Amino acid sequence: MNRTRWLYPLSALLLLGAAPLDALARIKLTTLPVRERVEIQLDHPQLALVEEERIVPLVKGVNQVDFSWANTRIDPDTLVLRILPPPADQPLDAKVLSVSYPPNENALVWAVAASTSGAARVRISYVLGRLSKDFHYRAVADHDEKTLNLAQYLRVNNNANEAYDAAEFWAGVGDRFGKPLGLNETKEVQLGRFAAVPVRKTYTTHPVEFGYLDRAQDKLNVPMHYVFKNAGGELGKEPLPEGKARIFQEDGKGGTAFLGEDRGKFTPPDDELKLYLGLARDIAVRRTVDRNERQRIAGNLYRYDVTLKYEIENFKDAPVTLDIAESVRQIRDQIRGDSGRDPEWQLGDGSLRTPDPEKSDADKLLFHVDLPARAADGQAKKQIHTLRLNLNNEW
Amino acid sequence: MTPNLTVRFLLCLFGLLLPLALLARNVDLATVPTRSTVQLTIYNSEDLTLVRETRVVTFKQGVNPLQFSWANTLIDPTSVELKFREPKTGLEVLDTTFPHDKPQMLYWNVQSDANREATIEISYFTSGISWAADYVAIADAEEKTLRLESFVRVNNRSGEDYENAQVRLVVGTINLVEKIAELAKVPVGQVEELKREEYRDLRQKAARKMMAPAAPAPMVAMDMAAGAMQEMEAPKEIIKEGLSEYFIYTIEGTETVPNGWAKRLRSFEAVGLPMTVEYRYRPREYGDQLTRLYLLRNDTASKLGTTPLPDGMLRVFRANGRDALSYLATQNLKYVPIGDKIELNLGPDPAVVFELLKQKVYRDNLWFQIKGGNLYRKLGEEGFKLELDSQVAGWDEHTVYRQKIRNYTRKPIHVQIRREYPGDIVFRSRLNPTLHDFQTVQFETDIPAGDKAELDYEVIARLGYNQKQNRVELQAGEVSR
Repeated sequence: MNRTRWLYPLSALLLLGAAPLDALARIKLTTLPVRERVEIQLDHPQLALVEEERIVPLVKGVNQVDFSWANTRIDPDTLVLRILPPPADQPLDAKVLSVSYPPNENALVWAVAASTSGAARVRISYVLGRLSKDFHYRAVADHDEKTLNLAQYLRVNNNANEAYDAAEFWAGVGDRFGKPLGLNETKEVQLGRFAAVPVRKTYTTHPVEFGYLDRAQDKLNVPMHYVFKNAGGELGKEPLPEGKARIFQEDGKGGTAFLGEDRGKFTPPDDELKLYLGLARDIAVRRTVDRNERQRIAGNLYRYDVTLKYEIENFKDAPVTLDIAESVRQIRDQIRGDSGRDPEWQLGDGSLRTPDPEKSDADKLLFHVDLPARAADGQAKKQIHTLRLNLNNEW
Repeated sequence: MTPNLTVRFLLCLFGLLLPLALLARNVDLATVPTRSTVQLTIYNSEDLTLVRETRVVTFKQGVNPLQFSWANTLIDPTSVELKFREPKTGLEVLDTTFPHDKPQMLYWNVQSDANREATIEISYFTSGISWAADYVAIADAEEKTLRLESFVRVNNRSGEDYENAQVRLVVGTINLVEKIAELAKVPVGQVEELKREEYRDLRQKAARKMMAPAAPAPMVAMDMAAGAMQEMEAPKEIIKEGLSEYFIYTIEGTETVPNGWAKRLRSFEAVGLPMTVEYRYRPREYGDQLTRLYLLRNDTASKLGTTPLPDGMLRVFRANGRDALSYLATQNLKYVPIGDKIELNLGPDPAVVFELLKQKVYRDNLWFQIKGGNLYRKLGEEGFKLELDSQVAGWDEHTVYRQKIRNYTRKPIHVQIRREYPGDIVFRSRLNPTLHDFQTVQFETDIPAGDKAELDYEVIARLGYNQKQNRVELQAGEVSR
């Protein structure tokens, strides 16, 4: 406790001036003003700023106030001492004259001038190393996977070798809260609770991003995600910081089943957060290049007519929507090699003709395909979809 | 003076002895006149400090040997000079001897025409004393004004304690031929070998003589006795004066900086400086991110402008409205002349989302080189036939972009974007852009609180045979859909 020490000599010797050599004296009388209040700001992405308030008795004249620390990683260059305005009935004008840094010590000495004897309320702030934070989430989807309850937790890891009996924390998001934080302690608090957040369960194929389940059979991986928007209700007011999410689903019997965990990325308001749930094994998607023809325009200039074919089977008992994503550049590179140029393309008359405008761009195409549940006889109906692309001006 | 004083000054009483004879003696008697005053002039651009100290010495009529030694310090032995301040006449240095067996020592033979007390001034250069500026900037909760505190920090690693010294700090760069710290380690004889003509010129002219007119006339040690403390002591003023290309900060009164210690004093404090907040995308300067900046100027309109701001670390905080601070950033502030702008880089703001979407790519204006010769034909032009033995030699590549910016802060923001396009480029948009330089486009927008902006533009790169220029041409027009 109190490894960060305030020492200030009460001796009248202090009145003789603020010569730093006094700090070297072997015999000195010191008192230790206790912390009145501590705030720990964790809003900076990497650093923790600690702010302490202490009441320091000063005598009229120049006072020497020592601040020293051991075994903690205080960044001495970030130390700021602010003397708070005194109460109106106890006017005490105090000013910092200088700061001295003794050699080979984790310490500094403030020379503080006081207009009269009395107690000054001071605030000192410093960046403290090894005091870190991270965020965690717990997402519990309802039984039919239409909504989920999201809880957001802050974990403060104190490896700074300093204890704080009572500190007020702020993590940049959520509300401020007060907690004690002991030596080498990790404190976890719930910052936010977002109930009944609308969620979509997605099944997605993307050869570049998610790859193949079985390359020889042209079978694509079909990962599942819970996707929800940081918007609506209590959400959308602040970004959701990056953090690990544990995902559960209500089992309909009053309990929950653990579905897995994923690292959620930093999600600004109005953006979607995707949590990976694993691979769907009951949806089979075979992707083949069904057609690849080139037509010479002139010299070495060609147009390519490419058709991708998707054979899709849904073995699930419920209808689902499959998201088919493609990178046009990857298709072009696959059929004719990389030219180093962005592909210039047009959609042809395949069955996939209307990409999602919000999620498609010059390279990425995303289509939503509705798949019915398997039939009553247990047979899954195979659906065939085609994506036809004209790749123009290739050489 | 501290007991472990390392700069020694000895007045030898054996005036009858010749200096060389004195060196050979084994039994000596010496007095040690103490420093009366000391002045340090510290350069921050070089590891260089000019020390001028005065001592009171009693001379007898005739020749008086003086010994000056500086064991375990970093004094440049070639720079030591002796002058007589009071009286100015009647005293003369006959010669200076650097004994071969004691590298950090010299002897002067001083001729005095009478028995008298005299004030002498010894000046020399030392290394190991440095100073640096640093700053603390605290923005108010609304980010309308800034409180800027500037500090100077003097660091003494010279091996010598300097007590009650007048401290002067030089802002600006000077040229030196050798490093003092290196000179301090070699015997004088070898330093002479290193010496070049401009060496002495630079030392003398750039530092010692330059400082002379700015030196305050009285160099009287200020003793801070306890009884003198009637009024509350105020933070020391740091007087700033311009001189030629330099600025000299003189710390009021005297300071004691023992060896190994550092001392930090406030240079100035300015409160309520008006500032603006700007968001900038300038990848060459700030990396590939939208960066938030506090902007102000070192001028009177910004309640500054009395002194240049020397290089130094600047730490930026923001008051959170509850008496506490938030730490925003640390940056190395480069020297800011009077009147110049001050830009505090706070890094990216998570409350502002900055995305660039590539929406469409297409090519046109295709030119062919026919049969590898000098004949070029444009695709689609009259008479152009499908030549098998021709190659695409030139084309225009159109890329349509949408710059999306979402402002989740509680304030309207101003965003400035610079993008660099090497080559022969047409930049087509309705964004009223300007050219920052021949290949850099700049455009700006204001986004209300909680709102977003979508800025569309098309970049047309004329490539291969089509490239005739190396510059960006701005064109007002709609982008392709």
